Amino acid sequence: MTPVAVVWRYLQGRAVSSALTVVAVALGVSLVIASVLLTRGIREGFIAGATDYNLIIGAKGSPTQLVLNVVFRMDAPTPNIPLGAYEDLRRDPRVEAAVPVAMGDAYQGFRYVATTDAYFAPFPWRRHAPELSAGRLFRSEDPGKPDYEAVLGADAARRTGLRPADRFFEGEEMAAYPLTVVGVLRPTGTADDRAIFISLPSYWEMNEISRHAAVRPLTAVLVRPKRLSDLTALHRGWNVSPEFQAALPTAVLLNVFNWLGVVEDVLLAVLAVVTVVVALYLFVTMYNATLERRREIATMRALGAHRATVLGIVLLESGAVAALGGLAGILGGHAIAAVGSSLLAARGGPVTHALAFGLLQPVTLGAVVSLGLLAGLLPAMLAYRTEVAEHLAPF
Amino acid sequence: MTPAGTAVALRGVTKAFPLGDGRTLPVLDVGHLEVPAGGCTVIKGRSGSGKTTLLNLIAGVSVPTDGAIVVHGTEITGLPEARRDRFRAERIGYVFQNFNLLAALSALENVMLAMMFASTVPRRQHRARARAILDRLGLGARVGHKPGQLSRGEQQRVAIARALANDPPLLLADEPCASLDATTAGDVLEALLAVCREAGKTLLVVSHDELVLGAGDRLLDMARINARAEPAA
Repeated sequence: MTPVAVVWRYLQGRAVSSALTVVAVALGVSLVIASVLLTRGIREGFIAGATDYNLIIGAKGSPTQLVLNVVFRMDAPTPNIPLGAYEDLRRDPRVEAAVPVAMGDAYQGFRYVATTDAYFAPFPWRRHAPELSAGRLFRSEDPGKPDYEAVLGADAARRTGLRPADRFFEGEEMAAYPLTVVGVLRPTGTADDRAIFISLPSYWEMNEISRHAAVRPLTAVLVRPKRLSDLTALHRGWNVSPEFQAALPTAVLLNVFNWLGVVEDVLLAVLAVVTVVVALYLFVTMYNATLERRREIATMRALGAHRATVLGIVLLESGAVAALGGLAGILGGHAIAAVGSSLLAARGGPVTHALAFGLLQPVTLGAVVSLGLLAGLLPAMLAYRTEVAEHLAPF
Repeated sequence: MTPAGTAVALRGVTKAFPLGDGRTLPVLDVGHLEVPAGGCTVIKGRSGSGKTTLLNLIAGVSVPTDGAIVVHGTEITGLPEARRDRFRAERIGYVFQNFNLLAALSALENVMLAMMFASTVPRRQHRARARAILDRLGLGARVGHKPGQLSRGEQQRVAIARALANDPPLLLADEPCASLDATTAGDVLEALLAVCREAGKTLLVVSHDELVLGAGDRLLDMARINARAEPAA
């Protein structure tokens, strides 16, 4: 026999109570792990999906709505802006790149994003431009000749099962004008993975067929100034217009992160309460178990066990319950985070690396075991101070 | 010093328990007591005469208020607690009235548990030795059973096996048959006496059971040993 074997037998001897305590610890740890993984995944999703364009020009309204819709494909689209705004920006000598974007309807939940091939251009200042994994880009630039070609983001292609040369349409009125898949993009970890890219002429034509509206609207224009010093002037110039707004994506992202910070603070407070409750539960379980076993503890002492040995056995049991709960909680937390992130991603939410392993897991396990030892300390002291002769007495 | 051939010697030993209000309750006052090595010494006494207190003091699980206790040449009252624990694990076997087996452990594990606290038996021999002792006590087929799956007589035999685990020269037994029916008590007592005689152990039993009183080599009366005990009616 070893103290570890005695602890194992004790855990087996109180199987239901031990299992419930392990489950309670595991639930608490799962909550912590899932919360941390999801908030970190959302934060990293926003960072990974952030645009390399410094300015977004759109219709007057909320800059947060504009950035969330155009960059992250969240929220409702802002009102349209005329094509002339894009042409003005393209002619502006301070602008290095201007990319028009129009947000359309969706096919099986994957939103149409109408743009030009400039959207995919690997400018040297871009961190990662979308790349093709199969096929080619759509080629229509002639407003009078829509080609009805589509390039699918990686997730959109995977979930819809569409491949190059496949044809698809949404709505009966579009049956005569199906889109043809000409290319599929590599995964980017951004909202582009869930988009179906089409050319602006195709978009406008589809709009005309389905809505009988012969307009050429845009949702926004992504702008990269030649010099950062021009950014302020461009921002101010477009914002004074009554029709347009110029949104700074970094400022909006900062605002989103501030909100995320508040959510994290609230979550932290909830998790702190959960941690205290779990620790108290573990403490009460161990305390009751030690009270029930005082006769056995006295017997071990009478057989020659040192006080430190019985103290160690109680601490070991408490630590073992915490460690088992911690391990189960880490696995459970990852499962919850996996489900949560896939649900979030399916609804277009930015979330990445939700299941990444790092310092979080060993640090959490260490903290849980430490907490378990702390919860077992008072019961262990009770065992340590057990008066042998008093508890050996017959019933 | 104690004379050669003395297993246990007490000199001027007193024990008083605090009552919590600053006063104490004296329960034991033994001027002089010697238990010779080898054989079975039975100490008889009524309930409350201090029998269990005397055994606990000899085992070193509690300390006297005053006086000296020498066990096989070692004055245990002078030992620090940790050394007294080790001495008890290796030199004294203790059989309790209510067996005091650990409910979560099998019979074999209960016997091996005692070896965990001593270094008398090499670790790799623990299992084999525990099995051999249980075999000797007729429990070879019950080694994997938990105390709850054993009869009371079997439980007390496991407790005897546990007391013998570290091959101590001195065995203390506190009312070993008090929780057993007459037939079972006879069998258990016979087994206890047999294994102690075979191995040349000193067996010190306290009891008020007529069956036990007649089984020892020497019979001492608590009323004569303990100045605080009321004389037997």
